[in-house]
Amino acid sequence: MGSGESPKVGVFVCHCGHNIAGTVNVEHVAELASEFPNVELSTHFMFMCSDSGQALIREKIEELGLNRVVVASCSPRMHEPTFRKVVEEAGLNRYCFEQVNLREHVSWCHMKEPEAATQKARDLVRMSVARASLLEPLEVKTVSVEPHALVVGGGVSGLRAALDIGDRGFRATLVERTGNLGGNLAKLSTLYPNNEPAKDVVDRMSLAAEASENVTILLNSEVTNFDGHIGNFEVTVKNNVTEEESEMKVGTVIVATGFDPFEPIGYYGYGDSPDIITLSALEEMKRDGTVLRPSTAQPPKNVAFISCVGSREEGVKGHEHCSRYCCTAMAKVAAELREEADEVLMLYDDIRTFGKGHEDVHRRARQEHVIFSKYNKKKKPAVKINDSGIMLKWNDVLSGENCEFRPDMLVLANAMVPPEGADEVAKIFSLTRSADGFFNEEHIKLAPLTTHTAGIMIAGAAQSAKSATDSTTQASGAAAKAVSLIARGEVEIESTVASVIDELCSACHTCVTACPYGATSIEATKGVEVARVTEAKCHGCGTCAAGCPSGAIVMRHSTDDQISSMIAALLSSAFVHGGGEK
Amino acid sequence: MTEAEKLATLSQMSPTQTALVIGGGVSGMQASLDLADQGFNVVLVEKTPSIGGAMAMLDKTFPTLDCSACILTPKLSEVARHPNIELLTYSEVTGISGQAGNFKVKVLRKARKVLEDKCSGCGDCVEHCPIEIPNEFDQGLGFRRAVYVGFPQNTPLVYTIDDENCIKCEMCVKACEREAIDLAMKDEEVEIPVGAIVVATGFELFDVSKYPRLGYGEYKNVINALEYERLINAAGPTAGHLLRMSDGKIPKSIGFVQCVGARDVTNQVPYCARVCCMYGIKNAVMAKELQPDNVKNVTVYYADIRAYGKGFEEFYNMAQTRFGIEFIRGRVGEVAENPKTRNIEIRVENTETGEYLQHEHELVVLCPGILPPKELRVIASELGVDVDSDGYLFVEHPASNPVDTKVPGVFVCGCAEGPKDIPDSVAAGSAAAMRASITLAKGGEV
Amino acid sequence: MSKKIFDPNIVAFTCNWCSYGGADLAGISRIQYPTSAKVIRLMCSGRVDPVMVLEAFKNGADGVIVSGCHIGDCHYSTGNYRTQVRFQALQTALESIGMDPQRLRLLWASASEGQQWAEAITEMTEQIKKLGPSPISGRGKK
Ligand SMILES: Cc1cc2nc3c(=O)[nH]c(=O)nc-3n(C[C@H](O)[C@H](O)[C@H](O)COP(=O)(O)OP(=O)(O)OC[C@H]3O[C@@H](n4cnc5c(N)ncnc54)[C@H](O)[C@@H]3O)c2cc1C
Ligand SMILES: Cc1cc2nc3c(=O)[nH]c(=O)nc-3n(C[C@H](O)[C@H](O)[C@H](O)COP(=O)(O)OP(=O)(O)OC[C@H]3O[C@@H](n4cnc5c(N)ncnc54)[C@H](O)[C@@H]3O)c2cc1C
Ligand code: SF4
Ligand code: SF4
Ligand code: SF4
Ligand code: FES
Repeated sequence: MGSGESPKVGVFVCHCGHNIAGTVNVEHVAELASEFPNVELSTHFMFMCSDSGQALIREKIEELGLNRVVVASCSPRMHEPTFRKVVEEAGLNRYCFEQVNLREHVSWCHMKEPEAATQKARDLVRMSVARASLLEPLEVKTVSVEPHALVVGGGVSGLRAALDIGDRGFRATLVERTGNLGGNLAKLSTLYPNNEPAKDVVDRMSLAAEASENVTILLNSEVTNFDGHIGNFEVTVKNNVTEEESEMKVGTVIVATGFDPFEPIGYYGYGDSPDIITLSALEEMKRDGTVLRPSTAQPPKNVAFISCVGSREEGVKGHEHCSRYCCTAMAKVAAELREEADEVLMLYDDIRTFGKGHEDVHRRARQEHVIFSKYNKKKKPAVKINDSGIMLKWNDVLSGENCEFRPDMLVLANAMVPPEGADEVAKIFSLTRSADGFFNEEHIKLAPLTTHTAGIMIAGAAQSAKSATDSTTQASGAAAKAVSLIARGEVEIESTVASVIDELCSACHTCVTACPYGATSIEATKGVEVARVTEAKCHGCGTCAAGCPSGAIVMRHSTDDQISSMIAALLSSAFVHGGGEK
Repeated sequence: MTEAEKLATLSQMSPTQTALVIGGGVSGMQASLDLADQGFNVVLVEKTPSIGGAMAMLDKTFPTLDCSACILTPKLSEVARHPNIELLTYSEVTGISGQAGNFKVKVLRKARKVLEDKCSGCGDCVEHCPIEIPNEFDQGLGFRRAVYVGFPQNTPLVYTIDDENCIKCEMCVKACEREAIDLAMKDEEVEIPVGAIVVATGFELFDVSKYPRLGYGEYKNVINALEYERLINAAGPTAGHLLRMSDGKIPKSIGFVQCVGARDVTNQVPYCARVCCMYGIKNAVMAKELQPDNVKNVTVYYADIRAYGKGFEEFYNMAQTRFGIEFIRGRVGEVAENPKTRNIEIRVENTETGEYLQHEHELVVLCPGILPPKELRVIASELGVDVDSDGYLFVEHPASNPVDTKVPGVFVCGCAEGPKDIPDSVAAGSAAAMRASITLAKGGEV
Repeated sequence: MSKKIFDPNIVAFTCNWCSYGGADLAGISRIQYPTSAKVIRLMCSGRVDPVMVLEAFKNGADGVIVSGCHIGDCHYSTGNYRTQVRFQALQTALESIGMDPQRLRLLWASASEGQQWAEAITEMTEQIKKLGPSPISGRGKK
């Protein structure tokens, strides 16, 4: 299809079962849309993304010679790739597709106003039809993939990923900022669910990584600079000890920077007595030999645990999440401590021993007569410290009684929080973060390992708090995504980049200063100075185009005209239909 | 390709380039895609007429309430269209021999009686079929004919005739313009050489009638969670209208009973099913969302709320604050029906207050735990891999090698290894693909 | 009978990464807010040319929101610094065309801030209802 051809737009409105049709009158929207300029066909269907919905689009493209397609359904963040593929299969260029979000932006957030929601849906469709009429086909480019993966973080997740990539026959470079491999796992004693010593796990994996000829390990190192795009990233790694910097090219990245154990300052007397410690500290003690009460260096006789310290605090930013490891870890050590201690008490809110083998750990603690008491979430346990030691008071909700206990050691099951430097990592790799501060996946259900930055994966505790098992599962999975890219050898990239209309450019340098990537420069062609865009460096943000005083920069797929057409379509209609009033 | 040509090709696969995936749920689908994307061939064997597994039956998914069909459907198409994936639905693995790099797998192609290469999925045959039987896909709440697809997005979109109920009237044969129906079709067996195997057989729902005191099967207004999912699904038997079975009325008050067939040593389900708390909360929220004005009270009866995953605790909080779902801690002792109103009375001790409660609900939803599928033991013994005490496949080193069985070249993912939610099943599917691809790339050498 | 309720028309430019995601999250979380804002999805808030904002007002928009990632979180690292600078210039420009600067709002909303997105739209809608229809739209004078 040439760009000169006049637009024939097909509009497909999706019911999404009840999801859209329950609020928006989709039939009516489809009917109205048939009157919009350039619309050749407007129809509605139960599930546009289903095989039959997709077939309908292809069929209509062929039957009516549609050359632009508008699907009014859910968020393009999920299904734009799906529908682009569909139009492509029918011979249209993928950039001749436009999606309207009638679900996340209309039906789901205006559930109680079906009429107003239907009007908004109509407006959004009109805007998209206007834009669609101006869409241009763009060339689809492929680039080669550098057969080399970068893995950031040398905990079990990073190790698992690097080992898998290496074993598959491709090169991986593992960058770990400390001097050791194993991350937080290396600080633990034995692991639930099977009591395997953590040291065995770490040794097994790090020895294999060190022995692998495909895996390069860079300790004491961090990524300081990162540039490029999927398939071809340029990475600068700095050794924090030698201060030396090295550069490398990689095709893909796995971020496995894990977590930090939360330092619970201000919680339950932490810091006020040496005998109040975190679960992480207790594990380190166990790893190094025996558990001794810090103040006396004697084995503790009465131990208490408190759950959810820094976790599950509604309304407290960064601490609303469940840390997912602590209930089971706590039940496990509690049972083990019973071998020596007279009494072990576990104060909990819910017991979340959800995973494979976790209930066995929980049951064992009960068999060992660990005392379980559910505390009152609204009136959390109180800790007093005086000369005679620690006094713990709480309300046991199950009996309703107020209880007291004098532990000689109090263990706080501390949360997992994003590691120090997560801000930097997010910036370097353009990752977004969820409310708990961990990195966001591309889709929470079906794409838990890829991110919104093409070519960059996340795995393990970097994505959210979790156990070693769940972490290494994600790591192998992320490695699969990386090796797919490398095995295929090439990957398609977006053609949505900036370009300069030489005749209009006044060589003012505005774009050169605006571009975050140094993709624009001023060059002399045929003796005249004009701006140039290096396409391989351009990420398509459009910051240059918005700044250009001469309107000399065309943002492909987001041109000034396309954007203006949406504004006009929305607002001109307000006069015609009185859309702004009702 | 005709069926005969397809079977001939399959028997000639190159084992070092081909993996077998058993089970086409979301974990098996993901494993297949991640192997196929690397350029390997995948034979995906699914015993029912369609891939999709349990996720295809769900209405919404926690914790974002994304609609299950909306996010799954494109994945279904992706699998079906992938040039490196050979989809064998309505098929079963009947025998396995050999070792990593060179397994021989016997697959039974059950006679579907409809030619896959001819059927266009138009459904013209359906209305001519005189037989009506409960649709398994709708948990028996809706009906299907003897020639059927379980659900509209059935993948591949090919109809199936169930031999057990078909009376050979040949009405469908006459109706089908494409001459796609062959009632004389016979089961066929094919032996396929493969280099690596991924087991992704998923789970089976716990049969809640094992607790007679909870009234399932006896009282019409006691249903299980999967039935509820179908009931509120727009493509389900009631077109998404939330109603109760006794009289078709919208229930004004609904009780959800958690941990039915989970964390119960006496019923041989000592483990936590990992998804019920969250799907219970999800379904509770959905009742309010679908019928904000009619559904007045929604109560969840639980033992512990295990909102452990990303965004789960936040979702649990939202259920209480934004949707006003009530949570009562206590294992439900028994239920009884009020014979006049057909309402269900729940008897439970609120363990937080010590109060003994008798709550009447117009509908009660039992939230069952999940079990390993019955045939898993058979497959395990064919493969020579162990099952653990709960009946799922055993993994020796869960911390470092969470998807490796003890047999080289054999991997496991999703609920076949133990209960998991969708993202954890998907991640495990990718992981199993990674590990299987190493076996293939090394030609089976370990 | 037909008592006219003024229902503002707001053009919302959002970036694809944080703010569009935040607006999606508001829907996913079923947070309810007014239908006034119509989103135009751009890759980055840095793509918002001040000319487009003025164009929206000239076409009769009652309000305009420019929304992007929090400073420091821009998917294109520094795109939104430009947005911030241009925004200040825009406010001055608005005053010069006789438009109340309260009709223009800059909103930083991350992909996890569905609540913030919904609140901002609600607030802005209320605010504009108080200001009345855009003097340019011509509806105010009826
Ligand atoms: C007290 C306690 C007990 C536990 N018990 C168990 C158990 O019994 N069983 C179980 O399965 N799980 C258990 N866990 C959970 C387990 O520790 C984690 O699941 C696991 O450590 C996660 O691994 P990871 O590689 O994702 O992250 P981490 O272990 O945190 O590793 C991340 C690595 O990345 C490095 N890093 C961070 N930022 C950067 C950067 N910017 N550049 C380079 N490198 C960086 C870190 O130095 C670290 O080495 C327990 C956790 C705790 C706290
Ligand atoms: C009521 C309910 C609600 C749920 N809600 C949610 C939710 O909201 N969010 C969420 O994340 N999770 C939810 N889950 C969990 C979700 O269903 C599972 O995580 C997911 O289905 C697991 O996928 P799977 O591929 O491992 O197994 P399955 O979905 O069980 O798929 C297994 C597949 O293998 C096939 N199969 C079995 N045996 C054989 C064999 N021998 N040969 C060939 N094929 C075979 C089966 O037919 C099936 O197609 C819910 C579960 C239930 C029961
Ligand atoms: S795992 Fe248990 S202790 Fe840890 S935050 Fe979650 S509920 Fe609290
Ligand atoms: S669109 Fe312009 S500013 Fe953005 S990366 Fe490309 S050249 Fe640079
Ligand atoms: S069997 Fe024939 S009539 Fe039935 S769906 Fe297939 S093609 Fe249509
Ligand atoms: S991408 Fe969000 S502001 Fe730049």
